[in-house]
Amino acid sequence: MKKIFQKLESLSSSEIMGNILDGSTEPDPSREQLKEIKKETIKNLEETPDFEAIVERQRNSFKYLYFTAAFIGSVCLIGVLLYLVSMLPQYGVENPRTVEVVKRYVEHGLEETGAVNIVSGMILDYRAFDTLGESHVLFTALICVNILLRIDIKNMRTDYEDYYTIKRDVYYDMSHDGILRLAALVFSPCILTFGIYVLLNGQISPGGGFSGGAVLGAGLILMSAGFGFDKVDKIFTLKINNIVTFSALTFYSFAKGYVFFTGANGIENHIPKGTPGAILSGGLILPLDIAVGIVVACTMFGFYSLFRRGSVASKVND
Amino acid sequence: MTPEWIRFYITAGLITIALTGFAFSVIGVWRFDYILNRMHAGGIGDTFSLFFIVSGLMVSASAPIVILKLLLPLLFMWFSSPTSTHFLSQTEYYTSGHLFDHVRRRNSGDTNGH
Repeated sequence: MKKIFQKLESLSSSEIMGNILDGSTEPDPSREQLKEIKKETIKNLEETPDFEAIVERQRNSFKYLYFTAAFIGSVCLIGVLLYLVSMLPQYGVENPRTVEVVKRYVEHGLEETGAVNIVSGMILDYRAFDTLGESHVLFTALICVNILLRIDIKNMRTDYEDYYTIKRDVYYDMSHDGILRLAALVFSPCILTFGIYVLLNGQISPGGGFSGGAVLGAGLILMSAGFGFDKVDKIFTLKINNIVTFSALTFYSFAKGYVFFTGANGIENHIPKGTPGAILSGGLILPLDIAVGIVVACTMFGFYSLFRRGSVASKVND
Repeated sequence: MTPEWIRFYITAGLITIALTGFAFSVIGVWRFDYILNRMHAGGIGDTFSLFFIVSGLMVSASAPIVILKLLLPLLFMWFSSPTSTHFLSQTEYYTSGHLFDHVRRRNSGDTNGH
């Protein structure tokens, strides 16, 4: 192939044009010549490098390298981990460095936080800063989904898009289905009540903000799936969602900031702890639980409705 | 033969039935290829086996409050599992392109099943 191109390139344009203008055509090639040309072409074709084979060879060599590197890496990792395991303290033997914090939490947790459920006392009192960050992560995720997926009159490109979105939503709407409607009718009150129960009993029994909020969010999703978005839109819109989430997080931040400030400076914070075991006990744990639960429920329901139809409210229609 | 032993044998029998159902259910979910068949197998585990395992535990429980508490998940599962199965099959029916490779319509007069 290369040689043919070289031949063509070596011919100057005037030569070609001259041939044509003169009308002098070369005599037709004979049978022998044709055979030779054919042979030459086949030879040229055979001489061209086989690119697929080259790629295949490179791929194979990469595979070989990859497996070697993976094997060496795995062996090194296993060695390091086994070495570290050998350095762990023996099981069952008390290790003062690691047990110190646990001992403090278990022995003094009840009197210091006022929460019977020591896990709630830990995540909302001793380590409230961590929980604050987690709630803000949820809020940030909701904001990002809002930015990416929200459909609004202001950012709608055409009327057609609007129409298409609504049509699609109606097409996939299952709320006319009797079975789902009955299941939602039976279940959503129970689920919502159970969610509130878990939320309010966070400091005296297993549960708390995150689990209660997840149950509440699931109940809201079931409600909107069973009765349609129109029913939910009457009590819960995107604006309300954002306001509620924002105020819950602000309350959390300020309340916990107050406690951090007073605690760091050794000032009395005047928050009553209450009797352990009662609903109104544990100081700030109950309100903080409610705030976290609201954030989680709003985030779950917001995710669902934004992914489902690009909006929490039905304001798209008007 | 004391009443405690009778109760134990009843519990053991019920739980054995339930475990057999679960075994069939698991085998079905693993061995069948098509979603509706697998859903049927899974539904057996969710309703039949769950009923027998919970009733076995209810026979073995002594306090009435425990029996009531055991009844709640049974009711919940008997409502929610068929509902979700119903929606899965609806979705399969409306969106699948290969439905009639697996499903034959009765009395349609068409030998190909279309």
